[in-house]
Amino acid sequence: MATDTLPSLAIPGTILGPASKYAAGPGTHVYGGNIVSSLLGNVNVTSPAKAPGPAKRLNKITAPSVEELSTISVIRRGRKREVLPDVGNTVLARVVRLMPKQAIVVIQQVGDTVLQTEWQGVIRVQDVRATEQDKVKIHESFKPGDIVRAQVISLGDQANYYLSTASNELGVIMATSDAGNDMVPISWKEFKDPDTGVSEPRKVAKPS
Amino acid sequence: MANQQTLLSPAELAYLHTSLSLSPPIRPDGRTSKQFRPLTAETGILPGTNGSARVCLADGTEAIVGVKAEIEKTVDLLGGEHYQEYVKSASGAGGGDAEEDRRQARGEWLEMTVEIPGLRDDDAGTVFLAELLREALLADGEFAKKLWINRRFHWRLYLDIILISPPLSYPLPLLSLTTHLALLSTRLPRLKSEGDEDPMFDDDWEASPFLYPRQGAAAGSRPPITLLVVAVGDSILFDPSKEELAVADSALAVSLCEVRTQKADESMEVDSGRELRLVSMRTVDPPSRLTPPGVPSTGNLAASGTFDPSSQKKQQQQRVEEFPQEGVWKAPLGGTRFAVLDSIIQAVLEKGGVADEVLDGLEGVDLS
Amino acid sequence: MADRRRVNGPGSSTLPPVYDDGELNAASRRQRAPDAIRPLCETKPIPTICSYMSYHENLETKTLRLDLKTGVTPSASGSAYLEIEPREGEHGSGMKLTCTVHGPRSLPRSAPFSPYMVLSTHVKFAPFATKQRRGYLRDSSEKDLSTHLETALRGALIADRWPKSGVDIVVTIIEGESTRQDAVERRVEEWDVMNVLGGCITVASAAIADAGIDCVDTVSGGVAALVASKDGNDASIVLDPVALEHESVMAACCVAYLPNRDEVTNLWFKGQLPLSASYNHQSLVSRAVQASRGTHGLISASLSEAIGSTQN
Repeated sequence: MATDTLPSLAIPGTILGPASKYAAGPGTHVYGGNIVSSLLGNVNVTSPAKAPGPAKRLNKITAPSVEELSTISVIRRGRKREVLPDVGNTVLARVVRLMPKQAIVVIQQVGDTVLQTEWQGVIRVQDVRATEQDKVKIHESFKPGDIVRAQVISLGDQANYYLSTASNELGVIMATSDAGNDMVPISWKEFKDPDTGVSEPRKVAKPS
Repeated sequence: MANQQTLLSPAELAYLHTSLSLSPPIRPDGRTSKQFRPLTAETGILPGTNGSARVCLADGTEAIVGVKAEIEKTVDLLGGEHYQEYVKSASGAGGGDAEEDRRQARGEWLEMTVEIPGLRDDDAGTVFLAELLREALLADGEFAKKLWINRRFHWRLYLDIILISPPLSYPLPLLSLTTHLALLSTRLPRLKSEGDEDPMFDDDWEASPFLYPRQGAAAGSRPPITLLVVAVGDSILFDPSKEELAVADSALAVSLCEVRTQKADESMEVDSGRELRLVSMRTVDPPSRLTPPGVPSTGNLAASGTFDPSSQKKQQQQRVEEFPQEGVWKAPLGGTRFAVLDSIIQAVLEKGGVADEVLDGLEGVDLS
Repeated sequence: MADRRRVNGPGSSTLPPVYDDGELNAASRRQRAPDAIRPLCETKPIPTICSYMSYHENLETKTLRLDLKTGVTPSASGSAYLEIEPREGEHGSGMKLTCTVHGPRSLPRSAPFSPYMVLSTHVKFAPFATKQRRGYLRDSSEKDLSTHLETALRGALIADRWPKSGVDIVVTIIEGESTRQDAVERRVEEWDVMNVLGGCITVASAAIADAGIDCVDTVSGGVAALVASKDGNDASIVLDPVALEHESVMAACCVAYLPNRDEVTNLWFKGQLPLSASYNHQSLVSRAVQASRGTHGLISASLSEAIGSTQN
């Protein structure tokens, strides 16, 4: 790769390379056949991940497809940048309010990034779990104060992101009992207070 | 901006954009690219004002302008009351004393308010409109001089523009044309006193002169008109409707002023000798930047019916580098090349072009 | 009815004192001003290629000096400070602007859904920025500037990368150019507004880049004016005009320009072009574009320096 021709620093508008040779990553956009930086920061080039297994023998000359291009991205090091929850992201959220048909949560972390501002999300009753959706009761799935691992399924309406916990890995990961103690998960639908021995129903995330 | 959101779907926007980009463009209301919407106008409708006008556009938008004048004592400049917005008078070519004094004339003697139903008076969009119209009026520096009475007194002119109907399209051209007519019909009482004494005026309203003289050597400048022009693709469209504005790549408000060349050099001049002068222009933020983008059917979740986070993620990535697809609406990004803006200006200033047509139309309005 | 609850001022107005700030004052101001502001802005001034173009030979050598520093407000997501130093001439007085960018953050609950970033701009003169004190409420010229700035920036932002979020951009003019009495006497403030807008665009562009908000290009502001010379009716075009230095300004133009795309996001022109002269709006706009190219050089130098320094 001719990385030496790339500038190491970029400001918005800096031309980084032809779009035929590179793929546009975060912090860049394509304009006029070139990859152009849209952020202030350092230029990174990541080579495409090599497919596992023996490399296919080339028997004809083809232009490399998008998958084979190395990706240019512009990232500002040493500086936290605000991120937004996006469709498909796994987020950590705190339950703030329960309603018969939905639970209101506040998204606090997207992937590994802790957010600066709080974004409100909603988990509707049909998105709590994948099976027996008609038997789900919100009050038996979440309690205010729980920390939930969820996936963003839609940017939602004006106020809320729509989240789903319909997967084994998703659901409540931290919960507090009525007595105020931290609880431990004992099954896919119950948390138990180790001190009082009382168990409470939850949509439990499979511990990893 | 003064426009509320248009209720067009991305598919409709894409269709509209495509048909307007054709050569010649196909406009939804069947007009040609340089055709204005028909309008009805009348002047002198408000007896309590010094001048007034009402213009009603065919789409139902209607505006009324009333001009009122008051006498005010001129505050000595060093006394310092308001220092904003002075009009820089034209470089006096060493005229008489009175000419020199008239250089005191200041733009702040004109007060202009715009009222649009549903918007606050201090809304940024409304203020922008008012400043745009005001700037065009004051740009030539001649207007403020008309308000000068003597060294101690001047007229303060209040120009109140009211849009009666809800704003169905960007009301700029409508408001500008109404203002133009109202100013043409404005009369100020005839001055009887002389020099710097307290002004005395003739009671006879019939004898009052017009603010913009009709005939004679003084019939030089005329109030400006402001036209809104949009560019869609390669087409340049005048007087855009709300729907057309919603797909515009760029919008430019051009104010021009008609200068009647004096008959003195009649060797050259034909009767309709009229010179158009550019006095101000501003880009207007086209509402198209806030329209919802379309989703190509290849990337549509509902169409493919599957939800796969990994492919979804890839799509997000590719959305960035995607080239514009035919028939998929995407809000315009970036600015406008100056060549496009310049072709708009040329189209406006063109002799015998749209501006001439509009001015001819306005001349047909009976000024009472 | 008279207000009896307060101690009222004298019934007749008095004149504020008027000081003779001629040559001497301007010279002492120049010495004082850089020291006063230095602690705030420690970068060394970067001379730009945006030199003062003029057809007067005696003015040709003067260069406009600008300081730009990003990241001056830690609590904001992005910020910038711009200082335009007074020129060596007798009329110059600098301009100081700050810009803070807040967000992207969640929209208020009452706001409708937006697939884009919602941009709101506020331009405010500090009460002490001009000779005449400004109030705390925004007046119409400040609102007008905000609208111009919004138009200039919206074209540069890639707004669809930040759905459902709002960004507030606040520009404060700490010191305007027309702080001096001459400006008031000669009534040239209306032309200085264009310079202020050019500065606002430049400083906001740097602050947005500092905040890490996606832009298609680094937008920069530039101003050009058609001025009449002192001796006669000879007209010429100057970049970054100081209205006081010229007998009269006939027309002026401010552009917000994207240099790498060769596109204009905001164009503001006003004035009266001489009918017969060889100068038309095209030449004025192209000179304004030239001025903004010069400013762009400054922004890129300053931004590169900013990321360069965080590396080490």
